[in-house]
Amino acid sequence: MAAVTVSPRSSERSGRVLAAGGDTWKRHIVRQLKHRDRNQHAMFQDLINFYTQLLDKASLTKGILSSSTRQPCSDSNSISALLQQKNQLNKTTGELAYQVVELQQQIKIKECVLEEQHARLQVVRQRASSAFDAHHGLRELVEQVQKENGALKMEYDALLERQREAESRLREEKFKEVHLLEDMIHQKRQAAARMNSRNERKTKAREANLQRELQSAAMSEITIDSVSAPNSRSTSPEKENQDVMTEQRHTRLFRSASATSVGILTSLRGLFEKKRRGHSVCSPDEDRIYPVGICMSARVPARALQVLEAHEESINTVRFSSSSDMVATGGTDKVIKLWDIQAGLLTHRATLDGSTEGITCVEFDPVGSRVLAASYDRSALLWRLDDSVPKLTLTGHTRKVTAARFSGLLHQVVTGSADGTIRVWDLHRAACVQVVEVSSYCSDLVCAENCIISGHYDSKIRVWDSRAVSCVQELPSQGKVTSLDLSCDHRQLLSCCRDNCLQLVDLRRWSERVCFRAEGFTCGSDSTKAVISPDGCFVVAGSADGAVYIWNVSTGDLETRLPDKHSSSISAVSWSLSGKYVVSVDKSRRAVLWSDF
Amino acid sequence: MADDKDVLRDVWFGRIPTCFTLNQDEVTEREAEPYYLLLPRVSYLTLVTDKVKKHFLKVMKAEDVGEIWFEYEGTPLKWHYPIGVLFDLHAFNTVLPWSITVHFKNFPDQDLLHCSSNSVVEAHFMSSIKEADALKHKSQVINDMQKKDHKQLWMGLQNDKFDQFWAMNRKLMEYSTEEEGFRYIPFRIYQTMSDRPFIQKQFRPVSPEGKVHTLGILLKEMYPAAIPNEGEQKRYQAVIHGIEPLLETPLQWLSEHLSHPDNFLHICIIPVPTD
Repeated sequence: MAAVTVSPRSSERSGRVLAAGGDTWKRHIVRQLKHRDRNQHAMFQDLINFYTQLLDKASLTKGILSSSTRQPCSDSNSISALLQQKNQLNKTTGELAYQVVELQQQIKIKECVLEEQHARLQVVRQRASSAFDAHHGLRELVEQVQKENGALKMEYDALLERQREAESRLREEKFKEVHLLEDMIHQKRQAAARMNSRNERKTKAREANLQRELQSAAMSEITIDSVSAPNSRSTSPEKENQDVMTEQRHTRLFRSASATSVGILTSLRGLFEKKRRGHSVCSPDEDRIYPVGICMSARVPARALQVLEAHEESINTVRFSSSSDMVATGGTDKVIKLWDIQAGLLTHRATLDGSTEGITCVEFDPVGSRVLAASYDRSALLWRLDDSVPKLTLTGHTRKVTAARFSGLLHQVVTGSADGTIRVWDLHRAACVQVVEVSSYCSDLVCAENCIISGHYDSKIRVWDSRAVSCVQELPSQGKVTSLDLSCDHRQLLSCCRDNCLQLVDLRRWSERVCFRAEGFTCGSDSTKAVISPDGCFVVAGSADGAVYIWNVSTGDLETRLPDKHSSSISAVSWSLSGKYVVSVDKSRRAVLWSDF
Repeated sequence: MADDKDVLRDVWFGRIPTCFTLNQDEVTEREAEPYYLLLPRVSYLTLVTDKVKKHFLKVMKAEDVGEIWFEYEGTPLKWHYPIGVLFDLHAFNTVLPWSITVHFKNFPDQDLLHCSSNSVVEAHFMSSIKEADALKHKSQVINDMQKKDHKQLWMGLQNDKFDQFWAMNRKLMEYSTEEEGFRYIPFRIYQTMSDRPFIQKQFRPVSPEGKVHTLGILLKEMYPAAIPNEGEQKRYQAVIHGIEPLLETPLQWLSEHLSHPDNFLHICIIPVPTD
C-alpha cells in the first residue's frame, strides 16, 4: 500500500529533475506500469488460479458425494459405514465391470452388424455405380439415336423438298402439254373447217356446172328429137357400141334415169368417167376425203341372185372390195374366202388362211390389193390378194380382235379389241405405234379423217382424235354397240345396238339422229353388222329371223324386207360400192347375193 | 520505440484481482462460495463475468434470477465504464483483491443501464470509438473503414486479442505529418465527489503558439484543484490505468498510448488518502 502511494510521489520528483532528459516521463510510466502489474497481477495470478481449481474440485467432489451417499453417516459407526460403503462400492464396481463386459459384447455385435451393413452398402454402391454406368450408356445411346434421327429427318426434309419441286415441275410440264395439245387441236380444226368449206365450194361449183349442162342438154333435146336417128346412125360403130354399152350399164346403174334420154346419160357418163379419172390421179390425202365417189344412187335389192354354202362354219363378216367386183367373207372356220362377182354370181376365187382362230372382221384396202382381217387369235392379219399366206401378223392385243380397219393413211391400220384397247399400227414397221386404253369391250370401230370412232359394250360411242389420242366426244347409245359404219362422204355414222335399233348420226351435228326400227327386226348377236348404202340413202341390216331389212334414210321408214333365204340369224351384210349388190351372211354358213333384178 | 509497444501491451494486459461474493439477500439453496477472477482493465464488466454468473447460478433457483448487476461498497458499478476506470475511481487505494458484490435482483434502474446482451456493449463501444475519431480526425478514419474493420476492433476486445485489435486501431492513432497531433484530444476526467459523471471538453494537443500541451496543462485547464499550488500538500491524484503519469507527459503521447480501446483517455481524479 505504501509502495503504491509513495512511489508516484518520488517518481514525480525525479521527473521534474530529469525533465531536460526528454522522455523521463515515459520511463516513469513504463516503470509504474511494471510496478502496477507486479502488485495487482503477478501477485494474485497463481493464487486465483489455484483457488479456481480448488473450487472446481470441491464442487466436483460435492456432486459425487451427494450422488453416492445421501444418508449422513455418524461418527460412531463410521468404520462400519465405511466398510458397508466399500462393500457397496465393490458391488457397484462388479456390476459396473459386468456392465462393461456386457457392453463390450454389445459393441462387438454392433460392430458385426456394422460390418455386415458396410458390406451390404458396398454391394449396393457397386450396383448403384453399375446402374449409373448403364444409365450413362443408355443416355449416350439415346443421344446418338436422336442425332441419327435428326440426320434422317433432315434427309427426309430434303427429299420432300425435291419431291415437291419435281411435282411442281411435272405439273408445269403437264400444263404445257395440255396447252400445246389444245393449240394443235384448234389449228387442226381450223384446217378441217377450211378444207370443208373448200370442198363445199367445189361441190357447189360442180353442181352448178352440172345444172348448166343439164339445162343446155334440155335445150338441145328438141334438136336431137328431130335428128337423133340419123345422127346416131352417122356416128362410128364404136361410138354406137359404146353408147349401147353405157346405156346398158346405166340403165342398170340408175334405175330412175329415163331410158330415152341417151344424151343426158352420155353427159352424165362423161362426168362420171371424168370423176374416176380425177380419182385415179388424186393424191392420197384427197383420196382420204373422197375414197370412192362412184355411186350416185344405190338400188334396193329385190331378189336373191344366189344362195350358197360359203364356209364350213358360221360366217361372221362380209365385205365388198372398193371396185365392187370382189367379195371377202370370213368365218369361224379360220379362213377368208375371196369371191368374184361375175354375171350376178359369186365364184370362188381364193382362200386366205393363216389365222389360228375364227375371223371377226375383214376389209379391203382402198386400192383393192390387200385384205385386212381381225381374228379371235388376238391378232390382225394382212394378206396380199395374190398370196394366200399373210403378209403381216399384228400381235399385241390380249383378247380377241373385233375390228381391224385401214386408217386414212394407207400405211396405218387401227384395231379394236375385246381387251378394251384400240391400237394403231404402222404397216411399214409392222409395229404398234399407239395404244388407247378405253377399259370397255370395243366391238367395232371406223376411221374417218383424223378421227377414230369406236363402239363399246358400255353403250357408248367414242370419238378419238387420232393425232392426240384423246377422247373428243362421247355419244350415248341405247345398248351394247354391235357395229359401226360410216357413209362414203364421212358425214353420217350408223350404229347398230342390241336394243334392235339402228341409229344414224350426222357427224357434223351430233344432235341430229335418226333411229330405224322395224317389227320383226331383232339384233341377232353382239357382233351383228349393219351398213349404209353407198349413196347414203338406205341402211341395211340382217335380223335374227333370217330376213334382211332395208330402211329409207330420208323417210326413216322400212323400205323393204327380204325374207326366206336365210334359215338362221344373219350376222353381217355388205352393200357394193356400185350400189348394185348386197351380200348377207348368216350363222349357218350361208351367203346370199341380192340384187334388184 | 520498443518501449512504446511495451506500454501498449502493458496497458492491454493490465489485470485487477477481484473477489466476487453473492449478496447476502439473495435466496440460495446452499451457501455460495466467493469467486476470484483477474479482470482485464480495458474490458467491460458484463463482457468478462460469464463465469461469475455461472458460478453463482449453480446455487440459485432459476425463478429467483433477475438481471445481474454489481456493486462495490454500496455503489452500483456502471458496466459502460471500463473496468480499470471503475477500480481506479472507487477502489484505487484499498486492499486487494477488489471485492465486488453480485446481485440478481432489485436492479437499480436509476443508476445503471440495462445490458441484455453483448451487442449492447458492442454498440456502446463502437459509439465511443466513433466519438473519439470525430474529435481526432473529424470521423474521417472511422468512416473510411469497412464494416468488417469495425467488427475486427470489437472482436479483438471481446476475445482479448491484442494483435488483432491493434492491427486496426493503429490507423485510428495516426495523424498527418503536417499536424503536430490530433485535432482534439479525446479525454474524460472522472471524479468521485461530483454529481457530474465526467468532464469532457475540446482540447488541442498543441497550443496556438506551438507549445506542446502536457497532462499538467490539461488538468490546470480542466480541474485546477488537481494541481497543488506551490508549497501546498498534494490533495488529488490523477490516475490513468492504475498509475500516475508525470504532469509533463505530452498529452498527444498519452492519448496515443494510454487510451482505452474506446480511444478515450480516461483520467480519474481521486483524493490522496489521508491515512
